[in-house]
Amino acid sequence: MWRKLVVLSLAVVFLMSFAIAAPITIHFWHAMNGPLGEMVQKLVTEFNKTHPNIIVKADYAGSYSETLSKTIAAVKGGNPPDIVQIYDIGTQMMKDSGVIVPIQKFIDEDKTFDVNTLVPQVRGYYTIGGKLYSMPFNSSNPVIYYNKTLFKKAGLDPNNPPTTWEEFEKVARKLTIKKDGKTIQYGFTSGLIGWFFEQYMAVQNALMFNNGNGRIKRATKAVFDSPAGLRIFNFWNNMIQEGIMINGGPGWDNANAIFASQKAAMLLDSTSDVGMMLQQAKEGHFELGVMALPHPADVPYGGVIIGGASLWMINTHNPAKEQAAWTFLKWLEQTPQQVQWSEGTGYFPINKNAITKMMYQGFYAKYPQYLTTVFQLLMSNVTYATRGGVCGVFPKVRATIEEALSKVFNHTMTPAQALKWAQDQANEAIEQYNSLYQ
Amino acid sequence: MSRKLVPYFLLIPTLLIIGLFIYYPAVLTLKNSLYRVSPFGNRVFFVGAKNFEALLHSPSYQQEAWTTLIFVAVSITLGLIISLLFSLVLNEKVPGVGIFRTIVFSPYAVSPAIAGMLWSFLLNPVVGYVSYAFLKMFGVQSHWLTTYPSALIAIIIATIWQNLGFNIIFFLSGLQGIPDSYYEAAKIDGAGSVRRFFSITLPLLSPITFYLAIMDIIFTMFSSFGIIDIMTQGGPGNSTTTFIYRLYRDGFIYFNSGMASAESMILILIMGVVTFIYFKFVQRVVHYR
Repeated sequence: MWRKLVVLSLAVVFLMSFAIAAPITIHFWHAMNGPLGEMVQKLVTEFNKTHPNIIVKADYAGSYSETLSKTIAAVKGGNPPDIVQIYDIGTQMMKDSGVIVPIQKFIDEDKTFDVNTLVPQVRGYYTIGGKLYSMPFNSSNPVIYYNKTLFKKAGLDPNNPPTTWEEFEKVARKLTIKKDGKTIQYGFTSGLIGWFFEQYMAVQNALMFNNGNGRIKRATKAVFDSPAGLRIFNFWNNMIQEGIMINGGPGWDNANAIFASQKAAMLLDSTSDVGMMLQQAKEGHFELGVMALPHPADVPYGGVIIGGASLWMINTHNPAKEQAAWTFLKWLEQTPQQVQWSEGTGYFPINKNAITKMMYQGFYAKYPQYLTTVFQLLMSNVTYATRGGVCGVFPKVRATIEEALSKVFNHTMTPAQALKWAQDQANEAIEQYNSLYQ
Repeated sequence: MSRKLVPYFLLIPTLLIIGLFIYYPAVLTLKNSLYRVSPFGNRVFFVGAKNFEALLHSPSYQQEAWTTLIFVAVSITLGLIISLLFSLVLNEKVPGVGIFRTIVFSPYAVSPAIAGMLWSFLLNPVVGYVSYAFLKMFGVQSHWLTTYPSALIAIIIATIWQNLGFNIIFFLSGLQGIPDSYYEAAKIDGAGSVRRFFSITLPLLSPITFYLAIMDIIFTMFSSFGIIDIMTQGGPGNSTTTFIYRLYRDGFIYFNSGMASAESMILILIMGVVTFIYFKFVQRVVHYR
């Protein structure tokens, strides 16, 4: 009898030790390809080395929208990842998905994590109704890259870039060069990207949606058909019609190519491209400057909104797995990892201490272009406008604004008509979406 | 009895695969098209035919119907004519014809996404080669992808270019299947080269031509969204949004699966009609040898 008992207890101990020692596997889907993807993998490998009880498996799941649609398919198929990287405008969709655990739950439980280390502007974006829903990861904001060499050629002071729209237009005009009636150099270029409209709204401290940009309560109406919105349509359109700005069309690549080949002196783009821009400037033998997004002179300054993506935890109903996933998310947010991530990619750190650390180490002194990208964000006021809109149909709203702008540029609609049309379309989509959750 | 069962038995593997990958999803799509569904599928409401009603009453969907029609008709007609001309030239026995054939066929090996990227760079308003050539030759500053109707023209050109190799391969094999004796007989009867083309080549190529027309309709209707997505994203002002691109956006960018399913059903219906016409009428007109 006692023999059996010993064998049985040994077996139990053996099995338990196995259960304790068996590492927990966390599946992490991300949307970072190329060098960014390699950087993610590097961090993951380091985490796995330092945390023998957890194995994080990172997989590239395609672009932002592909990652979201794969996640949706995986949720429906009953085999979702534990952590997934979702873009900024998917926030409301994820919140409504019914399959996520808000990060706030772990922040409340885990006293070793100091949520105040998060950059306030970043934290503000992913906080809705006082709850932080996802862990910020790769954050960016919009800046204007400018060609200092062309500034000098035009007799402009490269170290005194414009700060208001009025000055900006004047500078763009001076940088435009025409020969035999043909433009051989444009002052300014940008892709036709709805995100820029949202940013121009934010610098004017203007809202995209009602109910505090959808942050107090679910947004029920779009409110961007406002004097602020109209001003943006006019500002953008006037520069194109005057020929001091060239429309790069949809996407980022065409405008970028125009700037890189020095056919345009200024480019509106994301801070996440700063590394690539420095490389292009080196290859094209020109000096690169980075200026903060200008704003109308007579409007109180708001700030810029962060873009990029954050990491969401999927509810697996397995506390051990969730704790392991939280350990990984917490680790990613720590200073050494954030410094490594920021220096390797061009995304700024989402941890305040990492920014300070990089400053002490002389990174920003060596690369002042990187400083502007983070400085502009820290100078932004944290308001409902600059924390960005939250809306379940944001991808549609963004695309509708792009369509409206292209109608204005092609004289199919006046700026006022196009803005109203876009808002009506947005309201219809919002109403449809909200009716699903009533 | 067993004789009658054997063919069905042999069909099982095919039916299984088709059933699993085509009929089952099609039935699911039909079901989905009658619902309004939240992005993650956690909220589902039966709406009957309301998705279809909304589509048919939507001015943008009507505009997209015209865009699709123009896009498909022009790119197929022009595409077939151009590839037939190329095939006639490439059918000549000249030295190095193999190299030319490879060059002409190569666009087909390029994925639509890469093709879109390539054209997008060529047509870049400032640094694109095509725009530069236009500026030098005609003194015009062209904004291909950001103005109407040039954006649609650019998409059509890229689609024709991409599909050229596929058409040419089939035309070439068709041309090589026409016996020389027909031409010799015609020559003896005094037919000129134009007459020979219209009375011998064209009629004898008609089965291939109609096969290609159907394949091209499928290609332009269903797989053109890669090129559109990269070159214009349906713009400017919705002017290059075709049915399939709208479906892609509604389904995979806006995550509105009910609406996308309804659009999918409409596309299935259109393809059904095309196939029906093909089998009913076209086969009668085509000259089979």
